Amino acid sequence: MNAFSMYAARESGLHSLHPLTKILMTLLLVAAGLALPGNWTGYFIVVFIIFPLAFWGRVFLNLLSTTWKVSLPFAISVILIQSFFWGEGTPIFEIGVLSPKWEGAMFAAVSMGKIILVMSGFLLFSMTTRPDTLMITLKQAGVPSSIAYIIVTTLQIVPSFQRKALTILDAQRSRGLETEGNLYVRARAFIPIILPLVLGSLMEVEERAIAIESRGFNSGKKETSLIEIPDTPLQKVIRRVILFGIFAFIVFGVLWRL
Amino acid sequence: MFENIKKEFSTRTLVLIPIAIAINIAIGELVVRLKLPVYLDSIGTVLVGAIAGPWAGALTGGLANLIWGLFNPFAAPFFYVAAAIGLMAGLAGKRGAFQNETPRWVSVVVGAVFVFSLTLFILAFINASTDETGYTSYPSMGQLFSQYIVAFIAAILIGAAIGYFLLQKGGYAGMWGLITGVIAAIISAPTAAYVFGGVTGAGTDLLVAAFRASGGGILASVLAQGSVSDPFDKMLSFMVVWLIVRSLPARFTSR
Repeated sequence: MNAFSMYAARESGLHSLHPLTKILMTLLLVAAGLALPGNWTGYFIVVFIIFPLAFWGRVFLNLLSTTWKVSLPFAISVILIQSFFWGEGTPIFEIGVLSPKWEGAMFAAVSMGKIILVMSGFLLFSMTTRPDTLMITLKQAGVPSSIAYIIVTTLQIVPSFQRKALTILDAQRSRGLETEGNLYVRARAFIPIILPLVLGSLMEVEERAIAIESRGFNSGKKETSLIEIPDTPLQKVIRRVILFGIFAFIVFGVLWRL
Repeated sequence: MFENIKKEFSTRTLVLIPIAIAINIAIGELVVRLKLPVYLDSIGTVLVGAIAGPWAGALTGGLANLIWGLFNPFAAPFFYVAAAIGLMAGLAGKRGAFQNETPRWVSVVVGAVFVFSLTLFILAFINASTDETGYTSYPSMGQLFSQYIVAFIAAILIGAAIGYFLLQKGGYAGMWGLITGVIAAIISAPTAAYVFGGVTGAGTDLLVAAFRASGGGILASVLAQGSVSDPFDKMLSFMVVWLIVRSLPARFTSR
């Protein structure tokens, strides 16, 4: 399946869990990390819960490298800006006007913990859940089929759109459109590329609308699915408990800060 | 009211929304490839708002960021900002902002007024002083005018030039874009400040740093950064959609 997704196909216990269980688990970990007191809770949850889960799902290295790639630009930015531009504090060193502050660096490290928690949690979910099973689960959980249609179609058409944009870029270049040079030249190239992309794809709308209507998209009948999603009574119980846990963490988090 | 919402979500709208989200992502990447100093990653959202209406626009924006969040979790917490952008685009569309041409002097006034207010805001921010009790006082407008009269005149001239050369006949659409950008900056600042510590990893972080250096707190600096970069970004997005809508066949926009 050539969809726009992070899914890593493996055989593992984590992969075979019901998607709803996994998404609730992710939300529970994020809620816990943000609600519980202590500056380093985020890091603690990542190292002692998310990493072992990733091992179980056999995506540990994958998760590590993706989280690293997504968080790095952010980390550099947050550390530089918070430490160098912190108002009053203890300087780490001073060279002329440059004097990064400990307090700022600590603040940056604390915010990074929250970020890494949110990142790795959701990335782990995306890596171990097939996008099509996610859509079926959403429908079964009562999400309107129109919303499920939007989500799953988006995941499928994004790669073809990225290719289309590059094709148009190449086509316009071969007709002499300048796409490199100073800012003015590059900005001028923008409109001749996006107008064909947008207008061309809007012409598809009619066709697609007719196609799904002729396949009974608007019929109110309950549909059946080709793919069965395995679920167990135990997981149903666990999901109730997790839901309660998320609620408890949110209430605790709010009360504790009042 | 409810009937109107239902009417917005025809099959055609439902089909349009995934395409719009894909347009957001494809153009967002194209902008990075062309190394343009803007985001322009909400053109699809604005387009749905313009063609289908405010509720469809809001749904497109919200879902776009949540889906994008599966790959880049930074986007997800800002889903309500994207929804607001779609909603604003829809309201603008209902008032004909994307179909009508305005005379160029309207664009000149819009540009001048906006850059003038932005200058006023930034100067007030830079010159704010905090006394020992922690009370922040802002300079009065009279003080600022006498101190920075040259800057204000320059701002009005630059704004007028932006209006004349960039907005051209789309002054009304550009104005809606600027307003949308200001709203987006205001409502996204708390999330950016509290969830992400005020930075996003993008080039605009340098602006946050500059405002922090001039003595602003994290929330204030993020808000100031947003008010500088968001309105221009949204103005350009609205302008591009204005161009697109005007080159669409009439049967597309008549519904």
